[in-house]
Amino acid sequence: MDKLHIPATERSPEVDFDFAAGILRLSGESYPEDASRVFGPIFGALDPFLAGAAGRDIRFDIEMIYFNSSSAKALMNLFQMLDRAAASGVRLVVNWRFAPDDETLREFGEDFSEDLEHLAFNLVAADAAAE
Amino acid sequence: MLARHYRSFKHVLDEEGIIFSFSGYLSESILYSLGEALRQKMTLEETNVTTVKKVFSVFIEQSQNIIRYSADKVTGPDGANIELSSGMVTIGTQDGKFFIVCANMVRQEDVARLRGRLELLKGMGREQIKAYYKEQLREAPDENSRGATIGLIEIARRASEPIEFDFDPVDEHVSFFCLKVSI
Repeated sequence: MDKLHIPATERSPEVDFDFAAGILRLSGESYPEDASRVFGPIFGALDPFLAGAAGRDIRFDIEMIYFNSSSAKALMNLFQMLDRAAASGVRLVVNWRFAPDDETLREFGEDFSEDLEHLAFNLVAADAAAE
Repeated sequence: MLARHYRSFKHVLDEEGIIFSFSGYLSESILYSLGEALRQKMTLEETNVTTVKKVFSVFIEQSQNIIRYSADKVTGPDGANIELSSGMVTIGTQDGKFFIVCANMVRQEDVARLRGRLELLKGMGREQIKAYYKEQLREAPDENSRGATIGLIEIARRASEPIEFDFDPVDEHVSFFCLKVSI
């Protein structure tokens, strides 16, 4: 698979994974009834990709506006998965992007990054692209 | 009489500082629409971004708890993907703070566990709640709770005062449960 693109819905984020270029992007909102329905396909596509990506540079940009608690758990699982891939040789950089005045998202970024040992996790306070 | 009756009903709501109150069968699409209205209202009033996020987050977690756990649900005929949960969500302002109250029926056998979880959270300080949240974030999902624990911690974490809750027994099967959060 070269690409995975899932458009955003009212309560789920846009997924834009360019596997060929090594640039992955997740953005928007996530508060679906069932977080596994949103994150299941993401994990399903990342797992085989990361297994074959040792030695490659991979950038993962995450720019969420809001997510509920079950999506927060799914994001934590995602970061643990990425950290395991980084431990086995994938050169992974995560950019956690948020609006400069958004304290909630900054704090989430800090919480998520705390136990991650192998990947680079950057907190990026930046003005969001115009919506 | 009709206009007078509903005018006085609205007056009672206004006196309580209520921005909106929803009572009835709640679905995910109603939740989405109410949430959008709430965000627009707060943004128009130039509420601070962090406050908007906190209020919105508590609103979503409380409403999704009603959708998941209300003991008063109607389901569509076999095979139809319809499920509506009855409850009440009220948002307002009081003494310069936002408050969000949710209420729904809970089964008697679930009362003790829910009360225990809420009492635990009520007794915690800000740093303890934050640490508890981080711990639960890393836990595998609890099969029985279907994610309630982290949702309740998220609610307590966004509150600026200790959460308030109460149970009013209705009959041998259900109690009316109420949770108030101030931000």
